[in-house]
Amino acid sequence: MEESKVILSVNDLVVKFKLRGKILTAIREASLDLYEGESLAIVGESGSGKSVFTKTFMGLLDGNGWVDSGSIMFEGQDLAKYKTEDDWIKIRGKKIAMVFQDPMTSLNPLKTIGKQVQEAVELHQGLRKDEAKKAVLEILSDVGISDPERRYKQYPHEFSGGMRQRVVIAIAVACKPRILICDEPTTALDVTIQAQILNLLKSLKEKYNLTTIYITHDLGVVANVADRIAVMYAGDIIEIGKCEEVFYNPQHPYTWALLSSLPQLGVKGKPLNSIKGTPPNLFYEIKGDAFAPRNPKALKIDFVKKPPYFSVSPTHKAKTWLLDPRAPKVEPPESIAILRKQWGLNDNA
Amino acid sequence: MLKYSLKRLGQSLITLFIIVTVVFLLMRLMPEEGYFGQAYEKLDEAQREAILAGMGLRDPIHIQLLNFYKSILSGDLGVSNIYRPKVPIAEILKSKIPYSLYFGLTAVAISLVFGVSLGILMARSKSKFWDKLGTCYIVFINAVPAAVYYLFIQLYLTGIFNVPMLFKADDPRTWILPAISMSLGGTASYAMWMRRYMVDELNKDYVKLARAKGLRNKAIMVKHVFRNAFVPMAQYLPSTILYTIAGSIYIESLYSIPGMGGLLVDVIQRQDNTVVQALVLIYSSIGIVGLFLGDILMALFDPRINLNKKGGAR
Repeated sequence: MEESKVILSVNDLVVKFKLRGKILTAIREASLDLYEGESLAIVGESGSGKSVFTKTFMGLLDGNGWVDSGSIMFEGQDLAKYKTEDDWIKIRGKKIAMVFQDPMTSLNPLKTIGKQVQEAVELHQGLRKDEAKKAVLEILSDVGISDPERRYKQYPHEFSGGMRQRVVIAIAVACKPRILICDEPTTALDVTIQAQILNLLKSLKEKYNLTTIYITHDLGVVANVADRIAVMYAGDIIEIGKCEEVFYNPQHPYTWALLSSLPQLGVKGKPLNSIKGTPPNLFYEIKGDAFAPRNPKALKIDFVKKPPYFSVSPTHKAKTWLLDPRAPKVEPPESIAILRKQWGLNDNA
Repeated sequence: MLKYSLKRLGQSLITLFIIVTVVFLLMRLMPEEGYFGQAYEKLDEAQREAILAGMGLRDPIHIQLLNFYKSILSGDLGVSNIYRPKVPIAEILKSKIPYSLYFGLTAVAISLVFGVSLGILMARSKSKFWDKLGTCYIVFINAVPAAVYYLFIQLYLTGIFNVPMLFKADDPRTWILPAISMSLGGTASYAMWMRRYMVDELNKDYVKLARAKGLRNKAIMVKHVFRNAFVPMAQYLPSTILYTIAGSIYIESLYSIPGMGGLLVDVIQRQDNTVVQALVLIYSSIGIVGLFLGDILMALFDPRINLNKKGGAR
């Protein structure tokens, strides 16, 4: 991983929205380096800005949102400076593609799925009708749709949810993008289908040499597909590292809390752990560590000054004052130790 | 598709048959003066009976019904008794329908073109200037009684453009204002629905996917959104077009156009039974044919309507 090169580099990105006359800061100086060929998972609770963060890479923010400052470097260009449709057309689908959450509504119900995939192929590969159709049939079979010749002429309502998600994935990979963003690709599917779709995404990643970003709040998905994890809270990436680093050796109190909420820690008859309080109101300026008000062991400085990244290892860093050499020793909650034991047992087996 | 069409056609025919029967039975409940006209007062009981018997109205009810079906199948609508005594109803309609049809179809065409365009414009500039202006227009048209602005148009615009106030068949200038007046309401409602369906579609996930796929906004509008938004409107198009035959009471009386508008009210007031019967039949057939064509149109546009496989179970 260390020797691969950075394909996309986000620096101090700030994204704001105007909502009912008020300004909301959705992304607060988030930074991220995405390495070529890796698979990164962005986790965090609803409203933490996971989707918004990745949407800025494709210029897909809603009309009331904008990139306020920061940069998104991709192939020598700063995507944060892109304004016009003409700019984005060169990126969308062609270089960076996206798989959306809900396959039931992501396809146009009045067009055959063949046409919908073909649209993307014709747009970016400049193929003519017959060739384009051939390419579409190939992609359809690549994503595991049997009898593509017949399926080509069918409409979305003739497909099951899992099959539709395969079509959506086919559209995304149709133009052989460099980066594939999967925005909760399995949330709307039932559990048996989830594994199939994840396996499909993994095999496509190999086949098409994709760099993938998974947005999810399902830590099971993360463990299954990701090389690295970025934990997002209130519009910032507060901890990032290799999968095992973040799972086995979490540093940020929010990551502790998130992992402690895993249902596998539940004891029969007792309520599951949950994080007390609510995420901060993004309409107001957040001072210090955004998680401090919900953190029972917060330090004084957490309320005053935003922590910078502290490195734990060359690949693992977290934004928490606990990692400052001057900080008092605060042990992670007991549940983290229990988790480590659970996983440790699994490792030995 | 063919199977579905045939099935819908069969259903329509059954409905039509029921309507014909019900209309016939209802007409038997009407006062019998309606078959005589002004002569009614001068005739005595025996003479009236003789005339009714001559019309076949004293035959047993099932024979009458059978005769009624027969004459309808052969296209014979009967003869008017009071409205224009002894004139075949088909003839009366033949002289009136072209006027109503001309004005009606022109109005529908105008309101389709302008209404749909306005709706698209409004949806594209949602809650900005054009949207607000369009909303003003829609609210105005719906809130102010049509008679008021019809009258204004007649009183002032005829003066401004120096055209005659009343309709003259041989003066083409007098054809324009009535058609425009008639289209105002339709324009408003097409704009309203078009905007609404466009906004609905624009917020759907497949539009996001189309953008993510790299389609330009214009292409998304044309290839995806417009088509999908127009489908629910297409269903009512055939009915709207067919109903233009019925004419417009307001406009036609305002400009004294000899069309169909008000004919039904007129003949009901004057108790011309045979004409009432014919008109009710025609209007209800139009309704049924319109619905039938609308359903077929929908099925053509929307692949999800496909009843021939599972018999309607979805």
